[in-house]
Amino acid sequence: MKLTVNGTEHDVDVEADMPLLWILRDELNITGPKYGCGVAQCGACTVHVDGMAVRSCQLPASNIEEGAEITTIEGLGQPGSLHAVQEAWVEHQVAQCGYCQSGQIMQAAMLLDFDPDPSDEKIDAVMSGNLCRCGTYVRIRAAVKSAAAKLNEA
Amino acid sequence: MRTFALAAPMSVFVSALAVPALAADDAPAVVNIPAEGSVSESQGLEAFQRIYEVASHPRCANCHVDDRNIPMWSGPSYGETRPHGMNIKAGESRIGAEFLPCQTCHITSDDLDTEPHASPRFGIEWQLAPVEFVWFDKSALEICEQLKDPDRNGGRDWMGLVDHLIHDASLNGPVLWGWNPGGTREPAPYSLQQHVDDMIAWGIAGQPCPTE
Repeated sequence: MKLTVNGTEHDVDVEADMPLLWILRDELNITGPKYGCGVAQCGACTVHVDGMAVRSCQLPASNIEEGAEITTIEGLGQPGSLHAVQEAWVEHQVAQCGYCQSGQIMQAAMLLDFDPDPSDEKIDAVMSGNLCRCGTYVRIRAAVKSAAAKLNEA
Repeated sequence: MRTFALAAPMSVFVSALAVPALAADDAPAVVNIPAEGSVSESQGLEAFQRIYEVASHPRCANCHVDDRNIPMWSGPSYGETRPHGMNIKAGESRIGAEFLPCQTCHITSDDLDTEPHASPRFGIEWQLAPVEFVWFDKSALEICEQLKDPDRNGGRDWMGLVDHLIHDASLNGPVLWGWNPGGTREPAPYSLQQHVDDMIAWGIAGQPCPTE
């Protein structure tokens, strides 16, 4: 099957039930999305499919539509031009161990795509499906608000 | 008894071909309409009691919730009854558009089976039922009156409710999923066929409601 990841088209030969996360990590060596729980309970595997955040551990190859645009943390920004959410994450030193952070950032980026000025309640509601065992939630909320401010200035 | 052919594009048969995980005895749902007057009121009430057992079962009621728009976790798969984990709010859209879309985790797939504890899925977009169709924590009488009320059942008469069951199941939607919920979830009681038969019997009997 053909799929486009971070703007590059790939041709992969995989079983129909292979989850997108496995395709990314094992077939394409794109290892930013992480395996956490494998059952959509933690959010570590979050990527964007056509601009929508999805838990890639739950999306089998057979359900990826032809022509779908997949974006992972590797494609959100570049070292010289980080996405506003990534900049805010650095500014607030959000990460502790960092394992969940690519999922957190991808979820936060989609939140701000749809709501450039989210309330605390909305940030909590949208980000509650992304678990952080280090408990960085306070910094996550602060970083989301900083990123929103940066995007609104731009 | 006569077999009733629904208007196109619906079929009197709900094929299980698109759902390989289904058990063979869940395959078709056939619409058999008994003659007018052949179902007594007491038989209609017995049929409604079974309808209530289905509607109030966690597989159905957990997403038939009120205007707080918060899906529930209840039933033997979840232990004690509580709101959906992860602070989920489905919003007035009932699909999570205002917060976290249901489809972030509940993907759309004709393969209804999932690993234990994984997000359940079915063949149409995951969503809460319309807010008028509240079943969670409602009595048999309340659900009966709601199902009879076109203002609170999508404008349907009893045959319309049967059509809805058949049509939704043909899309591998939540009706079919209720009896094929995947993982270790307990299915709704009886079967789709029994539920369709009960809806018809209840309708032919004049949609009688229990007194409480």
